[in-house]
Amino acid sequence: MSKEWNPSRRSWLAENLYLLTGLLIGLGLGLLYAWVISPVKYVDTSPASLRADFKDGYRAIIASAYLVSGNIERAQSRLALLGDPDPVQALVNQAQQARSQGDPNNSAYALSMLAEALQQPPTIPPTLTPIPPTQTPEIIVTPSETGSPTPTSLVMTPIRTPSRTPTPILPPTPRPSRTPTPTPGAPFLLVDQQVVCNPAYPEALLQIEVADANGDPVPGMRLTVTWQGGSDTFYTGLKPDLGAGYADFEMTPGLIYSLQLGRGGSTLVGLSTPTCQDEGGEYWGGLYLYFEQP
Amino acid sequence: MSRWIKFLIAIVTGLALGLLYGWLVSPVEYVDTSPDTLRADYQLDYVLMVAETYHAEQDLDLAARRLAMLGSESPAEIVAGALKNAILFGLPEDDRLLIQNLGAALLNWQPDSGGSLP
Repeated sequence: MSKEWNPSRRSWLAENLYLLTGLLIGLGLGLLYAWVISPVKYVDTSPASLRADFKDGYRAIIASAYLVSGNIERAQSRLALLGDPDPVQALVNQAQQARSQGDPNNSAYALSMLAEALQQPPTIPPTLTPIPPTQTPEIIVTPSETGSPTPTSLVMTPIRTPSRTPTPILPPTPRPSRTPTPTPGAPFLLVDQQVVCNPAYPEALLQIEVADANGDPVPGMRLTVTWQGGSDTFYTGLKPDLGAGYADFEMTPGLIYSLQLGRGGSTLVGLSTPTCQDEGGEYWGGLYLYFEQP
Repeated sequence: MSRWIKFLIAIVTGLALGLLYGWLVSPVEYVDTSPDTLRADYQLDYVLMVAETYHAEQDLDLAARRLAMLGSESPAEIVAGALKNAILFGLPEDDRLLIQNLGAALLNWQPDSGGSLP
């Protein structure tokens, strides 16, 4: 059966061609509007949509911020924004990649530390608080007789009020030639952390005191301080006149340290030299940490 | 119905089909975006991270380079904008203070020779 020429169909098409033309014109106008007149603008996007290199930058700054603050919960929630299927693996991969390229941005250490912290069960973080920002002078104003307020004095308001008097300062702990035996028991927790601002003290001194569950000093506790490019190990009790559980360490301003108690024990990260200020200007303060068994 | 009306209906139908395709059948997927397109609260958190690291590192050039990811405005302007949002979003006082300190430091900052972005 062959198709026959149907003049009526041809005339229908010819008569309605304008409809197809209109449809195409409409489509063209829609695309013109969408692509030229008002093209898509990306706004209010989430970190998960970032380009891969920007994600790497975002991940690196998350790790650096964690290293400073030690706030693992915040770092975790920030990492979740990136939408990585395995955040730890992403950190490890980026750290390895950075190292293989010579770590031009000094980010490998921070990335590794964060990856390591995410793999460990939380021990210290609930009691760990970041070092407070620089103290802000509070101006006390008293009204004068004429009614106009007059600043009378500048008072430094400490952000953290020390509840424990830091141990008097002596030169840093000498390194031991033997390893004393620490007290066995539950892991030690950080129960007090203070910024020591006293210009009479040596600058950038990290003071540590360790006590057992009864509050008695623990001598011979192995302490390992790690920073980018180095580490050091020392022990409590080598300055008996300052207490059997006392040890100290000289920090270098600008470096970020982590402190580990015992072998494979709790690790405190993000330690750095705080800045203090008085009438004489800014100077480097110290840190005082007190650990106790629960 | 006149031919002109039918013609206009065809145009509108074509327009509707174009939008249907663009919005439902094959909608835009946001990939490979840049940090300057991030939502305001994400940008604020980014600035906070820069402020946190600046507080410890005291490296203003590095902080400025990190902030440059958020757009072509000057670092001080970016931080000023973030500070406004910090108040708007009710950021804790300590965090606000960190951003404020960074902003104050950037006011007198002059760019150096530059460098790579961590």
